[in-house]
Parts: sequence; structure tokens; C-alpha cells
Amino acid sequence: MKLSWKIILLLSILVILALFAGGLGNNPRDIPSPLVNRPASPFEAPALDGQGMVSLKAHLGKWVLVNFWGSWCVSCVAEHPYLMDLANIARSRSDFVLIGVDFRDTVEGANTFLRRHGNPGYRHALDPKQKIAIDWGVYGAPESYLVDPTGMIILKHTGPLYPGWFEKVALPHIEKKRTESGE
Amino acid sequence: MRPLNGLVFLIGTLLLLTPFSTTLAANLNEDPSEATVRHIAKDLRCAVCQNQSVYESNSDLAQDMLGVIRDKVQAGESEATIRDYFFQRYGDYIYLEPTKKGMNLLLWFGPILGLFIGAYALLAAFKKWKARGDDAIKPAEGSKSQAMQERIEKELNDIEI
Repeated sequence: MKLSWKIILLLSILVILALFAGGLGNNPRDIPSPLVNRPASPFEAPALDGQGMVSLKAHLGKWVLVNFWGSWCVSCVAEHPYLMDLANIARSRSDFVLIGVDFRDTVEGANTFLRRHGNPGYRHALDPKQKIAIDWGVYGAPESYLVDPTGMIILKHTGPLYPGWFEKVALPHIEKKRTESGE
Repeated sequence: MRPLNGLVFLIGTLLLLTPFSTTLAANLNEDPSEATVRHIAKDLRCAVCQNQSVYESNSDLAQDMLGVIRDKVQAGESEATIRDYFFQRYGDYIYLEPTKKGMNLLLWFGPILGLFIGAYALLAAFKKWKARGDDAIKPAEGSKSQAMQERIEKELNDIEI
């Protein structure tokens, strides 16, 4: 075998090994959402509190964090304390609201969850057949979408939101939009 | 007693066939649109179970996706529209078979190309070996191999059988 062939063989093996090593680090559940930078799908569904409907349209003009959850979801328990903090942040700002979409769940299940882990106070849409969830390309819970005041999906977060997420991830988008619109 | 045996046999056979008859009837009586639902659902990946189609999977998400497909088929939406609905929301990943577009072409035709390159390389190697093989048959010359030959013969002679 000529030296050049040996080098080609060695390089190909190295390339394959490098691709393999790179692939090992990927999370198979972390799939980029094609919905980012596209208009959010509107929804209107019965509210968990039993009072009327919850819709995205009602909050047009504000930043909306749509949080998909269910009382059956273990990671949602871990996320919940931060959602309580986030609800406080939303209350202190006039440009940011939270909506929960409780999917594949029962009213009793969801209410028990909120009693046990605390009620953050914002409203939840009921989605027992996960029609909204599928319409929003949801794989599991928790998943959250940040929707801008014009109704565009700015980002998707798969998995539990973590302390400091708002300041680190959402706020830069909000500030950027504000400087762009010249306010 | 013979006719009675025959009757028992007949009843027994019919009883054994009952479960099959119900499934067969269920298939025959199903809504014609169900075939379209099945066709679409078999091509879509159940998003939470890596390598199962929406039709095969028992996961909650797949069951509800099947419900969405069923609703859309019954609403008269075309197969292409329904496939696109899921594609718009879940991306390329939702298709069990990668689409034959863009970089995916590499997935489809790369292995075939690789096979041809391999076959060509093997052919070239065979030719080379064959060309070299003719020389190799001739005994090697030179004092060293001569000495080796003598030594082999000597060793062979020394062996007592």
C-alpha cells in the first residue's frame, strides 16, 4: 500500500470517529423546532379555573410565555418553583404574561398538582386530547415557547425552565425588540 | 352417535373461529377513510419513541396524533396537506423515511456510491495483485534465499519420522 493511500485511509477513519464522537454528545430529544420565527398558532380553550376561555389572542401586544405542562409530568415538579418566580416577574412587568397549557390531563389532576406545589396565579388552558400541544409541535412536558407582541414564536425551550432563565434568555429578546422599535 | 359427533365438531369449530370472525368483521366494517389514516400514520414517526410510527406506537402522543389525523381525514383534507401539517410543526424528524431532498440525498445515495467506489477499489487491487502474482511464482534469487533453501532442506533431512 502506498503512503498516500495509508494517509487517506487513516484520515477517513479519523473523520468517521470524529463524527461518531460528536454524535454521542447530542441529545436525541433536543430537536430544533421549525416553528421558531413563525407566527404562533392561535388557540382558545376552556380554562382550568372553569371561568371562560383562555386564548393567545387576548394577550396580543405583550410577550407571552406559553408553558406546556401536565400533572403527570415529573420534570414539571422540578420546574414549578421557578414558574412561581416567573409569575412574580410577570406581575411586576406590564409587557410580559404567562399562560399554561395543561395537556393530557384531568381538571382534578391539575388542581391537585397546583394545591400541592403552589398556584402561580396565571391561567391555564385545558388540552385533554393534546390538540394544542400537537399544533404547537410539542414532544413532551415541560416545553415553553416565548411569543413576541406581534404573535411570532421567538424561541422554544425544551425541558424545565431554570432560575435566571428570564434574565438570561428572554430579557435580551425583549430589550432587543424594544430598541428596534425605538421605544 | 355419529351425526352427534359431527354436530359437536361443527359447533366446536365455529366457537373456535368466533374471535377471528369479529376482527374480520371489524376490518370489513371500518370506515373507508381509516385506510388513509393508516397510510399517513405509518409514515409518521411517533415523536417520543425514536423508531416507531404513529400507527404502531401506543404512546399517548402517538394516539392523540392518530386522533388529529383521523379528524383531518374526515374533514376532507388531502394526504399531502396532513403530512405537511406535521412537517410544519415537527420538521423533517417527523418522517420515518428521510425526504429525498437536499442533504438527505446523501443518506439515500451515499451508501450506493460508497459501494461503487469500494467495488472499483477492489477491482483495481485484484488487477494489481494478479500482475504482481506472476512474478511471485518464480523462485526468488540471490545468495540469501539460496542459503535459506539449503537450510530448509537440511532441517527437513534431520527430521526423523
